[in-house]
Amino acid sequence: MRHSRHLSMDTHFGSHLSVVLDLSPAQWHRAATDRDSPLAVSVFVSQLLAFLNAHIALKHENTLAVFAALPGKSVMLYASSDPPAHPTPVDPNSYPPFRRLDDTVTARIAALLAADLDPAQPSALVGALTKALCCPCSLSLLRLSSHSPPTDINRLSLGQAPKDEVSDPRILVLSVSPDLATSYIPIMNSIFSAQKLKITIDACQIFGPDTVFLQQAAHLTGGSYLYLDRRDALLQYLIQMSFLPPPPIRKVLAVPTQDRIDFRAACFCHKNIVDIGFVCSVCLSIFCQPVPVCSTCRTKFPIKTLQRLNAARPPSGSPATSNSARPSPVSTPLSRPAPNGNLPTNGSNGPKH
Amino acid sequence: MPPKDIDDMDVDSDDSDISIELGNQAYTWEASFTRSWETVQEDEAGTLQTAVEDLMARGRRRRLLAPASAIRRTIIRHLMLILDLSSAMMDRDMRPTRFDLMLQYAREFITEWFDQNPLGQIGIVGMRSGLGERIGEMSGNPQEVLKSISDRIKLEPSGEPSLQNAIEMACGSMSHLPTHSSREILIIFGSLTTCDPGNIHETLESCVKSKVRISVVALAAEMKICRELCDKTGGQFGVAMNEGHFKDLLFELVPPPAQRAITRITGAGSTNPAADLMMMGFPTRLPDASPPSLCVCHSEMKSQGFLCPRCLSKVCDVPTDCDICGLMIVSSPHLARSYHHLFPVKPYDAVQSEFEIPEGSSACHACARPFPLKATPAKEGLSPVGRYRCPDCHNDFCSECDIFVHDVVHCCPGCGK
Repeated sequence: MRHSRHLSMDTHFGSHLSVVLDLSPAQWHRAATDRDSPLAVSVFVSQLLAFLNAHIALKHENTLAVFAALPGKSVMLYASSDPPAHPTPVDPNSYPPFRRLDDTVTARIAALLAADLDPAQPSALVGALTKALCCPCSLSLLRLSSHSPPTDINRLSLGQAPKDEVSDPRILVLSVSPDLATSYIPIMNSIFSAQKLKITIDACQIFGPDTVFLQQAAHLTGGSYLYLDRRDALLQYLIQMSFLPPPPIRKVLAVPTQDRIDFRAACFCHKNIVDIGFVCSVCLSIFCQPVPVCSTCRTKFPIKTLQRLNAARPPSGSPATSNSARPSPVSTPLSRPAPNGNLPTNGSNGPKH
Repeated sequence: MPPKDIDDMDVDSDDSDISIELGNQAYTWEASFTRSWETVQEDEAGTLQTAVEDLMARGRRRRLLAPASAIRRTIIRHLMLILDLSSAMMDRDMRPTRFDLMLQYAREFITEWFDQNPLGQIGIVGMRSGLGERIGEMSGNPQEVLKSISDRIKLEPSGEPSLQNAIEMACGSMSHLPTHSSREILIIFGSLTTCDPGNIHETLESCVKSKVRISVVALAAEMKICRELCDKTGGQFGVAMNEGHFKDLLFELVPPPAQRAITRITGAGSTNPAADLMMMGFPTRLPDASPPSLCVCHSEMKSQGFLCPRCLSKVCDVPTDCDICGLMIVSSPHLARSYHHLFPVKPYDAVQSEFEIPEGSSACHACARPFPLKATPAKEGLSPVGRYRCPDCHNDFCSECDIFVHDVVHCCPGCGK
């Protein structure tokens, strides 16, 4: 029912789009000097602005927010709910909302890239993604706050808000950086909250290797993941492939699907990708072979289990070697910061005495 | 908001006192009459702002009161849901009937439960005509569990309930479980009688012995045996006052419970009987366009599915146990879903005065909404300037984002941890 209503476009609610830009200077430098298909930041920004303008132009009620992930920090570049900072000179040849968007975004990107950045730090994609999650939530809360008590914030934000009030929010991640193993848990947490809030995450990897995290994000939230083959055709990918139409309309379009998503995990001991792993019941650490003591939470396992598991192990060598024949994923989907004795403060696995 | 909710909140207006209050006045009819609508006071400006702030302060305090020391939660849970299907469930004191409301909430509960406990399993037992009736087998697949209670006609209430029969049946289907997983029973009980074949206290003893935790949500009134079941096994007991309270009681049981300290007795260093190493398989997902083949779980022709890494049989959905070789099949996101219990976001500190505001921060770091410029007198636990600061990255957040980050996202937007 909801589906058809959106198709008939008789709803007066627009859709909300948050765009997360990965502006890692090092990666963009590599992208600009790439031999096969170079893409400079300036070209990227101009194509992006055309896409953003297209989103605003689709419907008057459409809202937009743009976030940037830079090495070590994340910032909000633009939000359509923001009042204009200073009155821009009226240009008779341009539509004022487009103009305002273009000016703000380009000015802020230029300012950010001119500032001193620590290139050693990885892009703060997680921070930008989390901010993008907070934004549509607060937008919908603003609308709801007039007639609901704040104790219901959780219930409302957990998708129990009246469906018509919340426009289909979605997040588009334009990434150039490879996966960062240390950000696995926060990024998965953001993905799960997006899933819970019914926010669609689309991802487009413009440069660099495929990212497993973003593939999983798109898969789990019902969005699409696209790896850009022809970088100079970015705008066509953005507009024509799948990122411009809101999710309800995509059902009737032929959007690119993901063939293979890796659901395997890397063991914590050797960082091998395993098919069959051994998991600690206390902290869910994964090992490629039965171990007597969990290296993360120092739990000792019963001898009986070890014997039983050793007997039950697949005879065809260790899982690691049997896996080497398979196409290995580009990155390890599961890897946590190395245990250094600092156990979680009030989580499940603590010192057990 | 209906007045009763405010009444609830009035009862636990001070978290530290709640147990004492409950201890002194266990029953609503013994308590003095509270005019719940009078607890909401308008302030001088005629708004409800102060009352609203009160509610928020309570939420914050509750989170700060969360145990600072490490507690151990059960990540791998097994729950038997016992539904009362006796004729008492046709009572209309909860709209539309207790039975319909129970089914509706049970479905929501199961969805939410699997969301928070992705590695858990739920089975369903009904109490009808003096018998325990197996409605759904223990399963880790939310769709299967939901399907077993989807048919309202099949569950039509009749006769008397039997607590003993149902508990025995539930215990029986959990007896084979490994020690590292929890065994829990949740009873939704609408009747005021139980018709048992034997001594229910013996059943209770055996439950205590096999470490089954029983929780009861009663819809009518408190029964001695129900409270005893919960108290002795370490579960929770509650009587639903109305529809909303019923849901609250039920959903309190969604987050993983703290594990009872078995290790304290055995001492540190010895083998932990509650910990174990589990063998798990990470499946390969077949693309939607692959040639169709029969699945081993439903024997249906399908193209999508997951391949068991050990026996290469095709199952429809994960997490599950492989029907052929019995291997536990999970995907890595399922494991990751439990990690926020393991690595929670640190509570933010309320910024207490205007002097602590650093230069150049005028808006919430997460949602970019501006902070109030003037300080307002605020209750304890709330910030007068409306700012909450992350102890790690020292960014300021507004109260909505504070709640949102801690309850939903589980990841600080400033430091990305």
